[in-house]
Amino acid sequence: MANLIAIGIFTGFIFSMVALGYTLVYGVLRLINFAHSEVLTSGAFGSYFVTRVIWGYQPLPVTGVSAVIYVVLGIVVGGVVGALVALLIERVAYRPLRRRHAPKLTFLISAIGASYFLYNFIGKEFGRYQQTLPNAPNNGTAFTVFGAQITTYDLITAVAAIVLLVALDLLVSRTKLGRGIRAVAQDAEAASLMGVNIDWTIASTFAIGGFLGGAAGFLFALLENGLSYQMGFKPALFAFTAAVLGGIGNVRGAMIGGLVLGLAMNVPQYWLQNVWLEEVVGFLVLVLVLLFRPTGILGERLGRSA
Amino acid sequence: MTVATATAPTMEPEAAESGLRASLSMADLKRAATCIGGALVFAVMTGPDGSNELPLSGLKHSLTPPHVTGFLVFGVVLAVVTFLWRHAKDGSWVGYRRTTTALRSSLRRGYASVLASTVSRRILQALVLAALLFVSLFIADFLGPYRPDKASFAQLAHTLTYRMTYAYLFFGLALGLATCVRIEREAAGSVPKDRSTAERVVVALGAIVGAVTVALAIAPGLPETFSWSMLIPGTSVSIWSKWVTYACLAAGLAFAAKSWRWKPARLAQARPAGQRFAGSTTLTFYLLGLFLAIEAPQYFSGFWQSQLITQIGIYVLLAIGLNVVVGFAGLLDLGYVGFYAVGAYATAYFTGSLPVQPPIILNPFYIIPIAIILAMGAGILLGLPTLRLRGDYLAIVTLGFGEIIYVVLNNWTSITGGAQGSTLVPPFSINLLGIHYTWDPPVQPLPAYYLLLAFTVIVLVLFTNANHSRVGRRWAAIREDEVAAESIGISGLKYKVLAFAIGASTAGFAGVFIATAAPPVQPSGFQLQQSILVLVFVIFGGMGSMAGVILGASLLSWLVAFFTFHSYLGFQEQDNFMYIGAVLILMMIFRPQGILPSRRRTRELHLAEEGIGSADALGTSFEGPLSHEFATEVDGGFPE
Repeated sequence: MANLIAIGIFTGFIFSMVALGYTLVYGVLRLINFAHSEVLTSGAFGSYFVTRVIWGYQPLPVTGVSAVIYVVLGIVVGGVVGALVALLIERVAYRPLRRRHAPKLTFLISAIGASYFLYNFIGKEFGRYQQTLPNAPNNGTAFTVFGAQITTYDLITAVAAIVLLVALDLLVSRTKLGRGIRAVAQDAEAASLMGVNIDWTIASTFAIGGFLGGAAGFLFALLENGLSYQMGFKPALFAFTAAVLGGIGNVRGAMIGGLVLGLAMNVPQYWLQNVWLEEVVGFLVLVLVLLFRPTGILGERLGRSA
Repeated sequence: MTVATATAPTMEPEAAESGLRASLSMADLKRAATCIGGALVFAVMTGPDGSNELPLSGLKHSLTPPHVTGFLVFGVVLAVVTFLWRHAKDGSWVGYRRTTTALRSSLRRGYASVLASTVSRRILQALVLAALLFVSLFIADFLGPYRPDKASFAQLAHTLTYRMTYAYLFFGLALGLATCVRIEREAAGSVPKDRSTAERVVVALGAIVGAVTVALAIAPGLPETFSWSMLIPGTSVSIWSKWVTYACLAAGLAFAAKSWRWKPARLAQARPAGQRFAGSTTLTFYLLGLFLAIEAPQYFSGFWQSQLITQIGIYVLLAIGLNVVVGFAGLLDLGYVGFYAVGAYATAYFTGSLPVQPPIILNPFYIIPIAIILAMGAGILLGLPTLRLRGDYLAIVTLGFGEIIYVVLNNWTSITGGAQGSTLVPPFSINLLGIHYTWDPPVQPLPAYYLLLAFTVIVLVLFTNANHSRVGRRWAAIREDEVAAESIGISGLKYKVLAFAIGASTAGFAGVFIATAAPPVQPSGFQLQQSILVLVFVIFGGMGSMAGVILGASLLSWLVAFFTFHSYLGFQEQDNFMYIGAVLILMMIFRPQGILPSRRRTRELHLAEEGIGSADALGTSFEGPLSHEFATEVDGGFPE
């Protein structure tokens, strides 16, 4: 039980990070970014190849400085690759349509196209089979908290996720860019009259969401100890659920939504004992939230300050 | 001519002096980079696979000659054409005053004056013809039999021996002739006079070339190698000994005759809104299509009959159903195959083919209404809560639904049989009033196909009528302006859920067929990819246009099957969805209305881009709890 709660919290952090990508983009564009799952995948693949170049095929020791450097480097590389892919998606699949003021339906369809193109392209270039992270430290138990067995990099993952989430919260609430993002979310036309560069703000929103998504992709690969070209689909679907659960457009809501969903999906395993039911539970949460509290836990923040 | 000159923009004197440098703006460079970059992406898409061990090997092989050469040339041609086209269109070609000598005087005032001068018009037409022939040759080389250096023109001589090469070239020729006539017509101004005899001859010629092309491409039983004797009657490999040729020629001649009698005055004739042709012409096209659908499969080989026609038929049925959701109601349903799976598994259950036994075992005919009701119920259950909110949530909820259906089917082995699926599902059969007949698709695909065709025609007639009835007008009203529709008493939620339920029930209906036509029923046939595939059929053909959707589904599913089974083309089945993703993006950027669009949808998409109406029903439904918060958003414009 304690183990399940721990797993729930760690997956919850990852859901939170991905959910932020959805919620930020939904804030500025009022669109579900269907291609966000491929940001996750490409981030994981980016850090996989870079760390493999550096450390070769040697597994790193569980404790020690190298494990920390490994995780930090993986997050940074994954984040940068994710941000670049998100920018590319914005550029190719969104901006030409945005220029034309195309209807929403065409955005959704071109985003699905981008998603399908990207993940199959990754599969074509990097192989269509399940791969493992060769340098991932052997997953031994480092210590036990209330009966939950926690490994070092579970801990590093949690710390890194918390740091990133806090940094994002500060970015959105304190900086000029964050104010720009909130202004565009509130009223794009008025924001542009006040001197906010809309194209640039939207692009940086994608980049920020992409950075978190790419970093989450690496952490997810680490948690599952594996990556494949289709890996992004399910976590992204559940992350969207988390974003709705927390209240779409609401940055802190997405963080809490991710944690709640991670727990809600993992803890019932204690009674269900069926791994595949986890996904059914995640989906049920989505439908139930939409039925009973469509504004999410903390309420939607569209058009209000984040 | 006078009209054309009048529309030519007047040039600023300083712009005329600034010369070449001013014309090569940043936007030009961006466009050129996009063209060449796109061609390189295409080269990588068609190149060899990479691997985990050598992650860059695929890219490296794709981007070195000989593989990349043809693509690069293609990209450069595209960039040049785009460049000339843009500058001719907006009249900024003036920069080339000094660099071009022959066309100097006529090019100065841009496209309009190119059209005004006979000489430059002929040059433009020749360029168009040459470019189209080049592109056809490129396509022929690309699709030709497998070589490692496709589309590089390295073995062009070899490519030139194939029958299909000539089909592509003739197609390019027919398209070129059509474009030439179009240029002539544009030169005559926006309200053309009558067509000249020369134009009529060119149109007739184009129609005949087109007809021969199609005959050459699809006539059965011809050798792969091309010889000119194919075009001569009486030889052993002549296309004139096939009925297909005469059918194509008849269609071509009918078109030519129609265009011969073409009068500009007819353009002014009033037609019911949203209709491309007069009613009788549309009906003729549908009957022609039906004739082809009945007749053509008989000439296919046994392998193609068993592999292809039932599959195409089911895809057409699925696409017709999804068209109601995406095209008529403007919603996005990504869990469409979930309902298809409901239909198929209901069939498997009630025929006793699953591990759990039903109370009574039924003939598949009796299961049709059960499957429809089950799928429709699932649709209403899913649509009702979601559509109360925002339409774009529907996309992700249906996505989740489709995925959950798949996961449950794949894992709940005691009920669904797991990944192995059901045992063999018995086929449709009749045992009534002394008539005994069994449709057994694996043994005899054709009768089962005709049964499916009959049902598809019924569904098609029903949905077309629905779209032209009060319900269809309400869908249109909701699509175009939901607030206005609600204010005159149309319940947005009710009609959205109706469309969604109709789509779901069609999928359930198609599920009964797939269960009997391709047993055993297995979860692998009901993955998300299938939903996306059907969505592509609808988008490619033209959402909202039944003829377009049918064409899109049959054309694309034939292409996918053709490429899959002719692996010597160098086409990998796993890459299918990469191409499909690319098609989706390109269609949305360049032609969101599809290849055979519905007039009304085209108009809506254009209006939505100008900020009038929304062209989809994804805005807020005003029955949700959040109505006031999103009220400002429904005018459809995106921030820019």
